[in-house]
Amino acid sequence: MRVEIIDVLKRFGKKTALNIPSWKLEDGEIVGLVGSNGAGKTTFLRLVLDLLHPENGRVEIDGISVSRSAAWKASTGSYLDESFLIGFLSISEYLKFVGAVFGLKNGTTERALEQYRSFLPSRSDDVSGKLVRELSTGNGKKVGIVAAMFIRPDLLILDEPFANLDPPSQIRLKQNILRLARENGTTMIISSHDLGHVTEICSRITLLDDGHIIRDEKTSSETLSELQSYFAS
Amino acid sequence: MTPTRGFDTYRLLLRNQWKTTKRSSKTKQSPFIWLVLGAMVCYVGFTLFVLGYHFERFAIVFFPGSIPVLVVNQYLLAGFLSLFFIRFLFQQTPRMKLTPYLHLPLLKRDLVVFFQASSLISVHNVYPMLFFVPFWLRYVLPGHEPVAAWLWIISIMGLIGASHFGNLVLRSILRWRAAYFYPLIVLLIVITILDETSGYGMTRTLSGFMFGQILSANMVSFTLTMSIFLAFGVWSSVLLLKTLRRPVITAPETAIVRKPRTVPARFGVTGQLFYLELLLMWRNRRPRHYLILSLVFSTMYLVIMMATELAYGGFIFDGLIGLFASGGFVLNYGQLMFSWDSTHFDGLISRNITFRQIIRAKLLLLQASCLILFLLSLPLFIWLKPELLAVHVAFLLYNAGITTVLVMELATRNSQSVDISQSGSFFNYEGFSSKHWLWFIPTALPPTLFMIAVQNHLFAGLILLASLGFVNLICTELWTNYFSRGLSLRKYEIAQGFRNNAR
Repeated sequence: MRVEIIDVLKRFGKKTALNIPSWKLEDGEIVGLVGSNGAGKTTFLRLVLDLLHPENGRVEIDGISVSRSAAWKASTGSYLDESFLIGFLSISEYLKFVGAVFGLKNGTTERALEQYRSFLPSRSDDVSGKLVRELSTGNGKKVGIVAAMFIRPDLLILDEPFANLDPPSQIRLKQNILRLARENGTTMIISSHDLGHVTEICSRITLLDDGHIIRDEKTSSETLSELQSYFAS
Repeated sequence: MTPTRGFDTYRLLLRNQWKTTKRSSKTKQSPFIWLVLGAMVCYVGFTLFVLGYHFERFAIVFFPGSIPVLVVNQYLLAGFLSLFFIRFLFQQTPRMKLTPYLHLPLLKRDLVVFFQASSLISVHNVYPMLFFVPFWLRYVLPGHEPVAAWLWIISIMGLIGASHFGNLVLRSILRWRAAYFYPLIVLLIVITILDETSGYGMTRTLSGFMFGQILSANMVSFTLTMSIFLAFGVWSSVLLLKTLRRPVITAPETAIVRKPRTVPARFGVTGQLFYLELLLMWRNRRPRHYLILSLVFSTMYLVIMMATELAYGGFIFDGLIGLFASGGFVLNYGQLMFSWDSTHFDGLISRNITFRQIIRAKLLLLQASCLILFLLSLPLFIWLKPELLAVHVAFLLYNAGITTVLVMELATRNSQSVDISQSGSFFNYEGFSSKHWLWFIPTALPPTLFMIAVQNHLFAGLILLASLGFVNLICTELWTNYFSRGLSLRKYEIAQGFRNNAR
């Protein structure tokens, strides 16, 4: 799926949260969105998901404005924060609910979830049968990320997926993201503060500062050190 | 580091409270809403003032030949009990206001003192005085010793304060022992009925005696009323302090789901959403409380209303009975229809779910609730007032067709979030704004006024009412489209409101 941002301006009160004249993401690309706190990463993702209305401009997915048609939702998986979880459902109920709204039967959902079993909170964590709202922040996030991924979306949008995860889960998440990209050709936008992970899995890095894109280029062997130097300064 | 103490703490908290009030979303209502609210406040204030200052004109109607002061003295205790009930429904507790300060180096005792004292600045403590002060100036002060008259008004203020803190005590106890609520209500109703039907009227006698003694400058009665005030003040403060030390009661409700409950895919997304709404009600304290409240309205409360014979105003009563018997759930739960989803609203609207599916599921739930409550209360109508059966049937169609639509119109304009899992306290009005109170007028008034208008041709009127409801009911698809468009247009505003409130 192609994503294009055209002349977008988003303000909160008098503050300009995001000002992007032009930005494009081609089919199958994985872009890492990096920037300091308050740089506009989450606002960027919310605009792509049509959760915010820009004062000016538009976001298009496959050439259609996201606010005009909701067709993109049928092939988009996303997890930004806990507002994407339904706290009063158990893990299994929540994942089956998500599967059902994407037209999957319970059996298909079960099979699709198989490859995420090692990433999901395990029985040893004593979470079996618990409601989502009773999970720890990290376990809740795992459930939200899996809900965005197991439907095999054409577009995946994740906000800070590595934060709050323990090291083994971070490694498994990277493996799952790369496998989804390889097997499904999913286009992805992943925001993260973890420069190591993001440069490892993303083919392109977009750097945001104070609502503006100040750097947007393919990932190379120097990208990580350059980003580290940028943030250190 | 030494904790901030005493007046330094109070000064700090006072400044923060002022900023909180100034920046609250409640103070940022539109000028129109302020205008309507202002007019309502002026009307209520003026009515209470006139009632107090010209009390003898009202006393002639209900208590011919009585002396105003004696009448008021007799009904003071009963009046405070009624005020207590209103407080219980609407007054907020200061508990949540303390939370942001608990981790700071401030003494818990200072926090409790400040928030207990500042909680007294409440509309519930002001409006009774709009009646009592003019009454006191006109009837008590001129005819009694100045000292006795002053003791009387101070006692009144003391009892208002006592009902304020008494309410906080009751709510604190119910936080720990919610199961006490229903036995307490039943006990109160039984005692009141027994007191009145037995002919003793002990509450009236006691009240008349106590305040009569105060007007004779009797210090024992005065000390007793002030002691009640102090006792409740201290008791509620101690309970609040205890709540701060035992915060377990605010923890989310836990539930182990032994067997995951899901809906087969053949029911489609609307079926999934409908079922999600049922689980939301069942697994969260606050929506569940609304469900119970609706059942109470449609059964227990209905018994009381139908058992009461009124000399006049019967048609208004019939209208209200009809409205609440089958529409209780719609009126209670329905007005917060999207606020219930505030914690997962972003996830809901960014997934593969259309606004039509969301609206259809919610309308279906509200319409189904009308039918269920209709069937539940049907035996009561047959038993107590078979002559109201036609009203019940007509209002089933009216509620399912029109009340649901009116309530949904309000729900799609509400961006106040609700914490469904944390707020298990009784009658928590989080998520409500002045819009909700104003909206009640176009929702409840037309059918009741209609009942008065058609009282001479009741059957024809009811057929008209039912037909209107039925036509609206078969237009559900049109309404679904209308609300879907509205929700689609206002989704940004609603989602942003939920995000802001959640912080």
